[in-house]
Amino acid sequence: MRYDPPFRKSTGFIPALVALALLVVFPFVFTDTYSRHLMILVFIYAIVAASWDLSLGFGGLVNFAHVALFAVGMYTYGILAKTLGLDPWLAIPAGGLVAMAFAAAIALPILRLDGIYVILVTIAFSQLIYQIVISQSDVTGGTSGMVLLPPLKLAGHSFVLNHKIGYYYTALGIFVVSTACLYTIIRSRLGRAVIALRDNKYYAMARGVSEARTRLAALAASAFFAGVAGGFYGSYVRVASPDAFGLGFLTLILSILLVGGAGTLWGPIVGAFVITLLSEAIADYGPWRSIAIGAIIILILVFYPGGLWAAVQELREGVDMARTSMLARWRRNRGRAERERRLGTREQVISTPHGLIAYADSGGDKPPVLFIHGNSACKEAFQYQFAALRDDFRLIAFDLPGHGVSGNGEPETDYNVPAYAEVAEKVLETCGVKNPVVFGWSLGGYVALELSARAVVKVRGLAIAGTTPLNLVPDDFGAGYDASSHLILAGKQYFSPTEARAYAGSATAPYSATSAFMHRNLGRTDGRARVYMFSKLGVTDWPRQMRMLRDGTVPFAILNGSDDPFLNHSYIRGLHYGSIWTGAPFDIAGGKHAPFFNKPDEFNAAFRRFMREACGL
Amino acid sequence: MSTVPLLELQHLSGGYEPVQIFRDVDLVIAHGTSTGLFGPNGHGKTTLLRTVSGVIDPWSGNILFEGKQLNRPGERGRRRSRNLNYDVFTRRRMNPKNVARAGLIHVAQGNLLYRELTVRETLGIAPIAARGRGEPGDLTEKALRLFPRLSERMNQKVRFLSGGERQMLSVACGLIAAPRLLILDEPTLGLSPKLRRELADAIQAIKADGVPLIIVDQDVDFLKSLIETLYLFDHGRISGRIERADMPSHEEIMRMLFGEVHS
Amino acid sequence: MTFETFLFVLAGGLVLGALYALMATGLAVVWTTLGIFNFAHGAFITFGAYLAWQVSQTEAGNAGYFAGAAAAVAGLFITGVIFHLALVRPFERKPNVVLLSVITTLAGATILENAIDLVWGPRSKQLAPMVPGDATFFGVTTSKNQILMIVLVLIILAAVGAFLRYSATGRAMRAVAQNREAAELMGLDVPKLYAGAFGLSAAIAGLAGLFVGSIHFMTPSMGTDPLMKALLVVIFGGVARFTSPIYAAFVVGLVEAFSTYYVGLYWTPAVLFGLMIVVLIVKPEGLFGKYERSV
Repeated sequence: MRYDPPFRKSTGFIPALVALALLVVFPFVFTDTYSRHLMILVFIYAIVAASWDLSLGFGGLVNFAHVALFAVGMYTYGILAKTLGLDPWLAIPAGGLVAMAFAAAIALPILRLDGIYVILVTIAFSQLIYQIVISQSDVTGGTSGMVLLPPLKLAGHSFVLNHKIGYYYTALGIFVVSTACLYTIIRSRLGRAVIALRDNKYYAMARGVSEARTRLAALAASAFFAGVAGGFYGSYVRVASPDAFGLGFLTLILSILLVGGAGTLWGPIVGAFVITLLSEAIADYGPWRSIAIGAIIILILVFYPGGLWAAVQELREGVDMARTSMLARWRRNRGRAERERRLGTREQVISTPHGLIAYADSGGDKPPVLFIHGNSACKEAFQYQFAALRDDFRLIAFDLPGHGVSGNGEPETDYNVPAYAEVAEKVLETCGVKNPVVFGWSLGGYVALELSARAVVKVRGLAIAGTTPLNLVPDDFGAGYDASSHLILAGKQYFSPTEARAYAGSATAPYSATSAFMHRNLGRTDGRARVYMFSKLGVTDWPRQMRMLRDGTVPFAILNGSDDPFLNHSYIRGLHYGSIWTGAPFDIAGGKHAPFFNKPDEFNAAFRRFMREACGL
Repeated sequence: MSTVPLLELQHLSGGYEPVQIFRDVDLVIAHGTSTGLFGPNGHGKTTLLRTVSGVIDPWSGNILFEGKQLNRPGERGRRRSRNLNYDVFTRRRMNPKNVARAGLIHVAQGNLLYRELTVRETLGIAPIAARGRGEPGDLTEKALRLFPRLSERMNQKVRFLSGGERQMLSVACGLIAAPRLLILDEPTLGLSPKLRRELADAIQAIKADGVPLIIVDQDVDFLKSLIETLYLFDHGRISGRIERADMPSHEEIMRMLFGEVHS
Repeated sequence: MTFETFLFVLAGGLVLGALYALMATGLAVVWTTLGIFNFAHGAFITFGAYLAWQVSQTEAGNAGYFAGAAAAVAGLFITGVIFHLALVRPFERKPNVVLLSVITTLAGATILENAIDLVWGPRSKQLAPMVPGDATFFGVTTSKNQILMIVLVLIILAAVGAFLRYSATGRAMRAVAQNREAAELMGLDVPKLYAGAFGLSAAIAGLAGLFVGSIHFMTPSMGTDPLMKALLVVIFGGVARFTSPIYAAFVVGLVEAFSTYYVGLYWTPAVLFGLMIVVLIVKPEGLFGKYERSV
């Protein structure tokens, strides 16, 4: 299952809306026809490049005849609108349909081929179409092309006369519609099948994806938009010329696609703006212009092959990282009194190999307990335990790297379960604690298991909540959890406000006066911590954790909420534990994913009993 | 006998960008001894050996062969960007050509060699690694004596050879390169028991000839007959070292590595 | 069609075939060695022709011609190595090297063509024929230049073929082409071999340019058509053996000559490309191919 919200709920909605609004008002700000002309070209190129990306970037199917399909749309428009006198408004979509038919013909030979052969066949195909076009000079005008094609008209008013404003909005309309369609296609079953075939062909086929049908559908869909763009282009420049088959135009569109970023929807659109405006800016330099464009393409691809859209993504990540890191630094001083009031103990900061770590230690010569919080939470999640248990136990809690008021870590090395366990060891060492009982919640549960399995620290007792012990990763992940859409948010880098509310609500508690602090804290979490934690699942030695649980030498308790929305309780019950407190996983009645927060009294009572047994009190 | 070990790995870490596969591997191989590597599939043995022979760059640590450092020392640079093409910005830290020419010969796992070259041509390429070290040149004949099947097929293209013959050709090429240390990565992978024995005999003969080996294999009993020291390798680390004298049986080792979880 | 016309068309087809063989062999060397498709090959041909023209202007007669040929070969070898280092080498270890190098070599071709335009101008030029005059065989008159060209092409191809087949470097190049990692582990200098293969391919393109320039007019964009033809030939014949594109080149040359005679100049390319698509559907590895390279 994949988390797939509608566009209006995603983080990209507002930026896209703003961009669209800017494009709508553009012709009122720039009233000269030249800048409108440029934007019309941008829209057309963006449609061609973005639709190409459906087969090239998403499908990994390098269809070099795509630009020829654009020309097919253009000639279709010319023949239908001029020679046969069809209404231009009908001739444009007809261009798309004819291009689709051609794409189906191209798809036929390349269904069996792969890699470079696809490139070669499609080039041959586009040459074939080109040769047919220039050899049929009485229909197509041969090498000189078709001229004086009819323009678009609306209610008898020709678009040629109104300073390109009619063409501008028509182009914008087609561009928006095609982008919306592509967006929908990419996220539909078809889009996923296309991507699946690219990433692992045989696996996808084994899962029932039909290669031939998917390729055909992807090529036809991308051809339709290219054909429509071609038809519109024909109506706009009123010429259908065979230049559109040339390597020059192919290079231009391909460079838009690659400079923007292949395999993304927005990349080619950004690329169309940049490359078109750039190439117009240096249009007066003759051969130098082509040399400069060629050099830019090479430089971008050699040094930054992801393209501009990848740069936008990295920029966004950098901004988010700076934001979370500044927020953490700022809160380290500002909200400190509030946090110390919640835990009733002083907060301290230590430096570890995994960055600055904030921890709280209630101190005293009592049996020590280490609390480890879960994904996108903070140590204050345990405020009710600190309030109720501090008289009997020494309570220690800390913020994981990238969480709470701890510093952000280095994603490659610091955001994974073994690294978190190392941080826990360092905190225990600083507090001078030798044999703690460890309680881990959710992600913290894995940290607790890992800490205990590493055996660097001798763990006296181990309790987990909201955590499924895993044996085979990632297979057991699917078995141990109920994949609700909220759980899938756990690995998402950026949250929209709705998503943040949904995740914090189901992970700790719905928004209320008591949980407001946890909700506020969620936004501070470094989004990379969520992503990398999942992508680095493989670095943990999961069987070692299971072996430890089977050995049963460490007193062990599972204290799940009975209403945990994420867990598959029967899987957890079915595992083999060497020894487990009360003989089976203990359910806190009415508890959710964070039973110690939802039902603190019941949890504390159970935890106290476990502590007494584990520490032999 | 000099005190400098034949091969020494110091705190070697590596992997395929951006995923680290193994970390902090320390390994010393003395002159004249053979070593086995044993561990589950997918835990980094092949990656480790590929790093040692320079096919991929190490991330940190040192590789010393007869006291000579094979890699440029230093840590792998931190990669701040996921999209920059670091292949352009960073210099390779190792050159597999130099490793091979120093006499550290790696016979890769499931080596497919050169489909369209004949056996004769393939054997003709193999001595390049030995050139410049003044090694004796009659090794081809010796290799062919060891694998008489190959001399019947000299003019055949490699793609017409059976899996076993191809594996023999791989080992023969390794032998012809006049190795100071020969790495065999799962040489018996996918072979029938009969071919396996045949190949094992040939490897015995190579070892008897005084060529130290590093062998990866999934069968401890096969390794036992060839090596002095066995390293257990799982989760990208060396998790144990066993001398020949107290080498347990295959089943016991499986238990040591996997416990009861998988049984 | 009389016997004489037949011979005349045949001779034309052989000349074309020889040219295509040279072009396609150059392209195939890079394809088989590096597994990529060099779209700058047409620009290489153009550059070779212009270099030869430039140098042969300074010397008179045959000396000028030889100097031009030498300049084309040497200049193009260096150009090829530079193109490899700048346009292909950076992606060598990337999974999508095929696509990336397609676009970089296309961009490189654009740069080279426009640079030629800047240096030599858009006006068309022509190299003097190697030998002037005509010769008549069986009642068919062709220029001596074309006959010499066929002979030279065959000699060059034989030399390149022998180099790849029998020399140690050629053998190493073939080995690298088939299994890069095994070649590295055997101590071959892979980067040098790659660059060498690219340079060799470009040098062959330079010679092709020399010949094209002596029978056609030269313009900065003259490389597009040879590139397309070379591509066609390579697909047609496959690259399994060194000789497969050569056979294919002669087939294509003859088909082109006869189809020009029968169905006309305009339809010929369509016939060729249509034929090629049929070949690819039926036999994707090429008419003379034995196996499909796993690129």
